[in-house]
Amino acid sequence: MSGILIGQSAVNVLLLTGVLTIAALGFSIVWGVMNIINLVHGATIMLGAYVTYIAFAFAGIDPFLTIPLSMALMFGLGYLIQRGVINYVMRAPMLTTFLLTFGLEIVIINLAQFFFKSDLRAITTGYSGASLTLFGDATQNVSVEVPYIKLGALIIALFLTALTHLLMNNTRLGRAIRATGMDKDAAQLTGAKIGTVYAITFALSAALAGAAGSLIAMTQSFQPGFGGTYTLYAFVIVVLGGLGSVPAVAIGAFVFSLITVLTGLWQPGLTQAAAFLLLVVVLVVKPSGIAGKAFYQ
Amino acid sequence: MSRLALRIVSIAAIFSLLLVACQPAAAPSGGGQAAPSGDQTAEACTITFGAAVSLTGKTAKEGGYIKDGYELYKDEINKAGGFKVGDKMCQIEIKYYDDASDPDTSAQLTEKLVTEDKVDLLLGPYGTNPTFSASAIAEKYEIPMIEGGGAGLKIFDRGYKYIFGTLPAAPNYLRSVIDAVKAKDPSVKTVAILVENDGFSQEVATGAEAYAKEQGLEVVYKEQYPSNTQDVSSLITAVKAKNPDMILGAGHAADAILIMKGLKDQKVNAKAYAFSVGPTSPDFRKTLEKDADFVLGIGPWTEAMKFQGSDIFGTPKKFADMMRAKYGEENYKTVPYQAASAAAALLAYQKAIEAAGSTDPKAVRDELAKLDLQSFYGTIKFTPEGIIVKPMGVVQLNPDGKVYTVYPADAANGEFLYPAKPWDQR
Repeated sequence: MSGILIGQSAVNVLLLTGVLTIAALGFSIVWGVMNIINLVHGATIMLGAYVTYIAFAFAGIDPFLTIPLSMALMFGLGYLIQRGVINYVMRAPMLTTFLLTFGLEIVIINLAQFFFKSDLRAITTGYSGASLTLFGDATQNVSVEVPYIKLGALIIALFLTALTHLLMNNTRLGRAIRATGMDKDAAQLTGAKIGTVYAITFALSAALAGAAGSLIAMTQSFQPGFGGTYTLYAFVIVVLGGLGSVPAVAIGAFVFSLITVLTGLWQPGLTQAAAFLLLVVVLVVKPSGIAGKAFYQ
Repeated sequence: MSRLALRIVSIAAIFSLLLVACQPAAAPSGGGQAAPSGDQTAEACTITFGAAVSLTGKTAKEGGYIKDGYELYKDEINKAGGFKVGDKMCQIEIKYYDDASDPDTSAQLTEKLVTEDKVDLLLGPYGTNPTFSASAIAEKYEIPMIEGGGAGLKIFDRGYKYIFGTLPAAPNYLRSVIDAVKAKDPSVKTVAILVENDGFSQEVATGAEAYAKEQGLEVVYKEQYPSNTQDVSSLITAVKAKNPDMILGAGHAADAILIMKGLKDQKVNAKAYAFSVGPTSPDFRKTLEKDADFVLGIGPWTEAMKFQGSDIFGTPKKFADMMRAKYGEENYKTVPYQAASAAAALLAYQKAIEAAGSTDPKAVRDELAKLDLQSFYGTIKFTPEGIIVKPMGVVQLNPDGKVYTVYPADAANGEFLYPAKPWDQR
């Protein structure tokens, strides 16, 4: 019996880690490179969810196939937001960008509320909720189950995370992004167009948020205000894992998921309290995070 | 700089004091007291109600139902001539603010409605916490508030005189579900309760737990989860390990959907699933589609109930049809009870104002306390604390796509399908 419990919990942790990694990755990159706590992040996730919803509900496109669309649209939106708004305050103190993104988030959420209403939406496909019985007997309520949609979401999240890691480390663009994050003046001297680098960084982050939104849309119900919780999760995950690299985000997401699932088993009312307690402990003991470094590398 | 600010603040303070001081004198003039008039034909007058309702935020959906219920009643009664106040017929108006599902905002806006907008009477917000704080403002200014969106006992146990609620008290919410299942299957033994950690849901869960024990059931699981939770997989894992006969949820619509998805993900089979809030909202079926089959919900009111009254709606069915006519068939396939409880609040006001012959807050309050009315919403009668005296009905989402009332037997219009089909046989 307890073997089942442990097995299912391990599955829960892994599935949650995948989605949360992708949900926090963009947040981490913008914070690390541009020194912005991007509060629009949750709203971008929300928009990604609606892209998938609309494509599914009105055009009948399979939700997994909508992910590239959602990423492309959010990439464009992110680019515009950085070029059109945030770029003007890039050299302002952190509080300014903090407030700016806070305001932008409210604008986006209220616009979404206007167009989509506050109806709860969900994407229910033919295979929603179908699951693979790893072992045990499902008819007796004794089994370890892996829901296919969440498994698919995990695989896509891992794929995108690996892709981002490669992009950041093995391409000219990635090197330019990291160089700008380390020292923007020096990067500029060596030929990086930092305006463009910032815009692409922000757009990349938004695209990842869009993908996260598409994945989340398949597993829960949502309405325009739901993204805020994910901004909060992303913040905790990034602080836990530490700034500075893609794997650090995955580590943060794993620790966060582990705490959430374990607390959820015994005292679910305290899951968020436990996560934030851990945040406080990490900040006191190792302020750079579990795997954090000074810059992206 | 700071001296200037101080001056502005003190001037503002003086102004607000003046406003408050003027309040009692100003109120009756807006209310259209039954002033003796030589003219026998109905004089034009307006009664203004104020409501801070959640139109955005977590409970935007439910707040919308409340507003739609208020609006339908307003439009219909105005078409029929309005409220009879003394020998005048008064049209009614409702001033709304969006409290964004936040209790503090709700209280501030309610105060604004009273002091700035000078509304005659108050209608309630949605949700126990906003109602809890908004009703304190109503009490402070001694203006009645009838609400159809807050059921937590804590709203009513403060000895307030000006708050009235048209929803049954939270601890009674899930009782009828337990009764319904026990009536169908006396051998049912174990129950698991998943609770959102807000005040209202906790009262629902505590009431359900106590009643389940009283009925000889064993509560094998009862845990809270945080509001705004996005993942309940570990609660589901823990519930599954307890293998309960019945799974009860005390939370809000988004949580109920998340829990049902989680139960299917992990193939947790129970004989009955029930939620305090959720199944009766149209979104539940729309989002879960076939996975909503067999789920039980509750309501102080469903359109299948056989109430009869002399109000503008007359019967639950008529109210539901008018909701659909006004807001569209697709939006109100099933009419949620919140819309009816909101309309019932205005109906209670109508009868109390007619009995009082004025909109004087104290006179209206006294008539409300005496009210005993048969209506499309059933009997409207309040306890001394201000809560409506009313049993809950149980509804079930049938695989044919419709919602049937299945309990109590005399209101049932469909068969109670029990036990729920296991996930892999659906």
